[in-house]
Amino acid sequence: MNKTLFFASLKANWKLLLSTLALFLIYQSTIISMYDPDSAAGMNALVASLPEGMVTAFGFDGLANNLSSFIGTYLYGFIFLIIPLVYIVPTANNLIARHVDRGSMVYMLATPNTRPKIARTQGIFLYSSIALLLAGITLIGMVIAELLVPGELQIGNYLLLNLVTISMHLVLSGIAFLASCVFNESRSALSVALGIPLAFLLLDMMSGFGDKLDFLKYMTLFSVIDVQKIFTNHAFAWWSSLIMLGVSALLLLVSIRVFDKKSMNI
Amino acid sequence: MIKVQQLTQIYKSGKGIFDLDFSIKEGEVFGYLGPNGAGKTTTIRNIMGFANATKGGVTIKGLDCRKDAATLQKDIGYLPGEIAFFENMNGIEFLKFVGDMHGMTDNRRRDELIERFELDPSGGIRKMSKGMKQKLGIIATFMTDPSILILDEPTSGLDPFMQNVFLEMIAEEKKRGKTIMMSSHIFEEVQRSCDRAGIIRDGRLVAIENIKSLNAMKSRVFIVTLTTQADLKKLQTSELETEHIKDLKLKVHVGKNFDGFIKTLSGVKVVNLDTRQRSLEDIFMNYYGKNGGQHE
Repeated sequence: MNKTLFFASLKANWKLLLSTLALFLIYQSTIISMYDPDSAAGMNALVASLPEGMVTAFGFDGLANNLSSFIGTYLYGFIFLIIPLVYIVPTANNLIARHVDRGSMVYMLATPNTRPKIARTQGIFLYSSIALLLAGITLIGMVIAELLVPGELQIGNYLLLNLVTISMHLVLSGIAFLASCVFNESRSALSVALGIPLAFLLLDMMSGFGDKLDFLKYMTLFSVIDVQKIFTNHAFAWWSSLIMLGVSALLLLVSIRVFDKKSMNI
Repeated sequence: MIKVQQLTQIYKSGKGIFDLDFSIKEGEVFGYLGPNGAGKTTTIRNIMGFANATKGGVTIKGLDCRKDAATLQKDIGYLPGEIAFFENMNGIEFLKFVGDMHGMTDNRRRDELIERFELDPSGGIRKMSKGMKQKLGIIATFMTDPSILILDEPTSGLDPFMQNVFLEMIAEEKKRGKTIMMSSHIFEEVQRSCDRAGIIRDGRLVAIENIKSLNAMKSRVFIVTLTTQADLKKLQTSELETEHIKDLKLKVHVGKNFDGFIKTLSGVKVVNLDTRQRSLEDIFMNYYGKNGGQHE
């Protein structure tokens, strides 16, 4: 790892990181403050009034009779799947592809640092920043919950849900980073980094439309955030997290190798 | 020291560089001349280890420029032809970044260069003019005091005064024993600074010449405007090598025969005398065009 480059990347991307954090906080505090153990039924009644297709498409279909399930349904069903992409997609592109596209990659390569070292530094920056962001959000969520509705949050389930979410976003970061290392043009890297998660999202929504489309859930990463399954089957949560962490590590290794081997017109 | 062997890189368009073979000796200043799009930058990308050659390769001190790039970069200073910095930095932050990436600890040379090129590095890079960016790039290249300098069109964007400052610096660096490769499309610049020059055209090396022999081969061209047809005839039938342009204008290839040129001119009435701006194209025509066009 190269410290100079790591901090230069931090300096170039911290504003987006903070903006994403702010976006998270707005949604998180709003949803948690809407929870009222006595009238959770109210929110559920509202959801019940929506057309069924829409409810399943947005993942609002869990029975939310405790706080963990409530935020599992209303935050982790859709919003927490999407918001991290606001940070991941542009940042992954900024770290490699954009430098190659513009030509500023010269000032990393024309130094006594090997290509693998440069790619490793940038990859570790992306992974650690998104993991830290989501870990921070997890912690803040806990604090908000304890302040607003003390004792309501099932901490164990909540932490497991976040572990799965963080692992999944590391895989999406890996995909975005690989695209950034493969393509010499920002446009291509961005299209792939955004296109794949959007395709996952579309498949995830469609899989909720009926039994005939149920098989689609095996084709999208987002189906791993199955809140009820994570809460009831802890082994599933642990194993899927472990596998996704492995996949994200593999994606990073492949990205580094691709970057080491490629030809650049800079 | 720098050995380019059968270097070939072909782009999808079919353009590229083909079977380049040349070497640059230690302590030599090598000019790399060619019109835009000839393949100068592609060659340099291979020397820097950024691009993968289709065939052949480049070695420096026996190390492969692509595989051992990081090791070689300790000794190389590189100035890109089209410089792109890190947008969010200001000048001094950028120089600090590049210095740290090189593990540079002594900033004296950097500060000397800033003063020499009269650059205010505290401003944001995004707002800098082309000339300021070029200065910043030059400082970033020279501040680590590398023993090999690879410079892609280094004077572009500099005003004539700064071009001069830069070319003086090249002369100093040469005295200090640096090995320098400098690409350019401006003949005079190469003529002034370099020991030898390679000339590239359409991706192929058409010649490698000592600058001294280039100078010796050089023929001066003047455009003479006369007043009468009789005078025109007189010049055309004289010992001078002439070429009729139109009306009463003649192109005269003087070579070294300045004395004969002036003596002949004294016998006619001259209303205008012009030296042609010698483009690289002219130099090609002068050196290679007449002898069967090796570059075609």
